[in-house]
Amino acid sequence: MRHDHGLTVTLRPHSTRIQVLAVAGDLDHHTAPRLRAALEELTLAPGGALVMDLSALTFCDSTGISLLVAAHQRAQDAGAALALAGLHSDIAHVFTIMGLDRLFSFYESTEKAIPALQ
Amino acid sequence: MVSLAARILRVPIATVTFVDDQWVHCRAAHGMPVPLRPARRAVSLCAAAIDDDGACVVPDTMADPRGTADPMVGGDPGVRFYAAAPIITADGHRLGSVNVMDTRPREVDTEEVKALQDLAALVMGELELRLAASRIVAAERELRAGAERLARTLQRTLLPPALPQVPGLRAAAAYHPVSADEIGGDFYDLFPLDGNRWGFFLGDVCGKGADAAALTSLVRYTLRAAAVYDPDPCTVLANLDAVLQQEHSGSGTPPPYCTALFGVLTPDPGGFTVTLAGGGHPPAMVVRKDGGVEAVRPEGGQLIGILRDPHFAEVSTRLDAGDALLLYTDGLTEARTATGSMLDEEGLAAHLAAVAPTSADNLLAMVHKLIETLGEGVSDDTAVLALSVPVR
Repeated sequence: MRHDHGLTVTLRPHSTRIQVLAVAGDLDHHTAPRLRAALEELTLAPGGALVMDLSALTFCDSTGISLLVAAHQRAQDAGAALALAGLHSDIAHVFTIMGLDRLFSFYESTEKAIPALQ
Repeated sequence: MVSLAARILRVPIATVTFVDDQWVHCRAAHGMPVPLRPARRAVSLCAAAIDDDGACVVPDTMADPRGTADPMVGGDPGVRFYAAAPIITADGHRLGSVNVMDTRPREVDTEEVKALQDLAALVMGELELRLAASRIVAAERELRAGAERLARTLQRTLLPPALPQVPGLRAAAAYHPVSADEIGGDFYDLFPLDGNRWGFFLGDVCGKGADAAALTSLVRYTLRAAAVYDPDPCTVLANLDAVLQQEHSGSGTPPPYCTALFGVLTPDPGGFTVTLAGGGHPPAMVVRKDGGVEAVRPEGGQLIGILRDPHFAEVSTRLDAGDALLLYTDGLTEARTATGSMLDEEGLAAHLAAVAPTSADNLLAMVHKLIETLGEGVSDDTAVLALSVPVR
């Protein structure tokens, strides 16, 4: 299968405490550097929260998974929360098999994630 | 290039031609239809041009014996003026020429001749660039092909050539690559432990290609060594995790990880007790003698090698005479069915229930057939390991 849909990463600050990073398209070996760069630019403060809106994420390979795990560890080190919102059911299912449901907080949508992080 | 030549020399016709033993081939033309038919070398002005060291100038073809036989002079378009500069390689080979022509006789000055020679040198430069680029591409392809060949060889060494004979057990395994060019990181093994116990595992390393093959090798030997050291299944996975974490600490590359099931078979008079630990891997499936299908799921086991304080889980089951156990990688369950949805555990379980294979060999044949049926829907390699207890 070919995945050449590209990846777009959009930062949408929600409040002083909560930031939303929308990731759309295919997250793979080729596109991961774009997300890595966006994550590195973010400032994660103690008590802050990052919602990754993955509702338009169409594919996630092992590089993408490594990157999300690294993002979680960075948030953890900074004392911030990380939530994954709107994950496609197939990808969520794969994450669950990998035991990542014990690591990440999954939310149906960004709208549902934000009140939970307030 | 040819239109530039025409403009600089203020002529209506310009061509770039290459010459072989017998023919003159036109590769680009301005003011003439393309492609021009090849002309016989013996009669062509362009053949005369490349033998000239500097530039060949024929102010009036009617007054020059070299031009009389050229079809472009005698026929259409009736060339009267001709000038050309040879295209010469760095080591002196004459490949062809840049030619300008007019239907009226005329003279050229030294500046114009110099410009024509510069254009011929530009054509040569362009050719050399393209040649160099294609050589680099060919060399890169060769390197890549070499690396993939090496990786495939490595992969063959990663999978055991034949599974050992375990008394009272039938074991079979297969590897279904999705592409012959690129190798994945699926692995499995079955080997003796202390006393009469046996260890087995099956898993999947992240990534593809030579890196994945190297990592697979590390994982496989670590699992075997860890099992000798302490065969408790969760401890084996925890030791593998520690080794993988060590592997990437400090490096800037994305940390490698794997998913795996590791099990211990303990024989008893009726069959075997199976203790199975899992780290981020889909559950094993057992097909009972009566056709019932159960998932053997170490609930909550996490990815190996990448998480802080990962959790590995363990589950036990029995294999009695007529029971068969299937371990597989996610190439199978993540394959797309005709409806576009993932086959998934449910789809695999339904298939197993419908076919009800009773031996390791039947299980393998069933998976083989299923992968063939899924066809293009399979996008990743699949490894399968099947264990069954024969009915005496």
